[in-house]
Amino acid sequence: MTEANQELDARNLNCPLPILKAKKTINKMESGQVLRILATDPGSVKDFEAFARQTGNELLESTESGDEFHFLLQKK
Amino acid sequence: MELEHYQQIALYGFIGALILGAIASRTQFCTMGAVSDWINMDSLTRMRVWFLAIGVAILGTQAMHLSGMIDLRESIYLNTNFTWLGHILGGFIFGVGMTMASGCGQRTLVRLGGGNLKSLVVFLVMGITAYATLRGLFALIRLEINGPTTVDLTETGLTTQGLPGLLGYLTGISAELAGFICVVVIAGGAIAFSLRDSEVWKQFDNLLAGIGIGLIIVGAWYTTGVLGYDDFDPLQLEAASFIAPVGNSISYVMTYTGSSINFGIAVVFGLVAGAFLYSIVSGTFRLESFSDKNDFINHFIGAIMMGFGGVLGLGCTIGQGVSGVSTLAIGSIITLIFIITGSVFALKMQYYLYDDLGWKYALKSTLRDAIPHARD
Repeated sequence: MTEANQELDARNLNCPLPILKAKKTINKMESGQVLRILATDPGSVKDFEAFARQTGNELLESTESGDEFHFLLQKK
Repeated sequence: MELEHYQQIALYGFIGALILGAIASRTQFCTMGAVSDWINMDSLTRMRVWFLAIGVAILGTQAMHLSGMIDLRESIYLNTNFTWLGHILGGFIFGVGMTMASGCGQRTLVRLGGGNLKSLVVFLVMGITAYATLRGLFALIRLEINGPTTVDLTETGLTTQGLPGLLGYLTGISAELAGFICVVVIAGGAIAFSLRDSEVWKQFDNLLAGIGIGLIIVGAWYTTGVLGYDDFDPLQLEAASFIAPVGNSISYVMTYTGSSINFGIAVVFGLVAGAFLYSIVSGTFRLESFSDKNDFINHFIGAIMMGFGGVLGLGCTIGQGVSGVSTLAIGSIITLIFIITGSVFALKMQYYLYDDLGWKYALKSTLRDAIPHARD
């Protein structure tokens, strides 16, 4: 399992806040570092796919466990 | 049991909204998300899907209007009392509100059906505020804004606030030709903009959302304008809208024995029911609640702004943004532009507020982004 350098708890937040917080956090990280994001908004799955595609940061993982969604995003 | 004429129309509205609820749930059609994607990740795909719905709605609605099947002048959108300041302020306030409350009226109802309890609070607060702005305490503010600024277009010789009328008035061409030109330019422009991105036409869900929602709006006009037409029992010509009808729905539930169902109320219930059924069938139903106090406050204030702004601007991103724009009313286009402006403003503010440097810094940074060459 890929180790994350930083974690962002976006649980119980709805669009646009998970993306906005992720954008803010990843902007402050170094290239190659990995951000783990925890979310509960079902819309966040599509949102993070689009975010990765648009920004060039790689979505290493997108998984669901129970009522939570976990994403691993690597800064380009 | 034989249904009365108005009940029959309400039933059609309910069924159409059931389908809309399922489509919106499946495709995650979200107009606030469309603005957010544009601002936060430079992606216009969801905005293009929204514009596809607008283009399809204009084509179908104007085809019915120009062929005489329906007379859109009977809708609220083409009213000759032009409340321009209400459209500007209402649109902007609604745009800020929907961003704080994580989605427009349509999205709130869809999320409510999917089990989101935040949306239940937004639904109630938005509905009560909308009703108070229509008939209650906040109506005083609305009248203060609209009273002195309303322009009576009949004094200028216009018979509606539609773009075709204005074009005909300015150029002297016939109403039919002006209508045709406006449809080709605006609907054609919207559809061309939406289909420029291969993401839109290669992905079934995007086409389903854009074309499906556009057609449902056309179907709504057909239902209230053609099926609902009755000399002895005239019904309001309307399409889908999700602010004032939410207030009316709450009032309907509270005064059930003394009131009757109408198309708008049935559409509200249908949308929630469609989203609920879809979430059960697809296994996506889940109860969600507020993360903390701030999350609640944001949704609460956002809902008040949606209810007030939505009534002042005569509609939301669907009510004005698709239904209203499909009538080619100038007021609808103004409201749509200012809803998007308000949402962009709120998204930028949210982004800079996360720097924890205070709201003055956030406001200054937001304005600097709006006017790139401005310096403090």
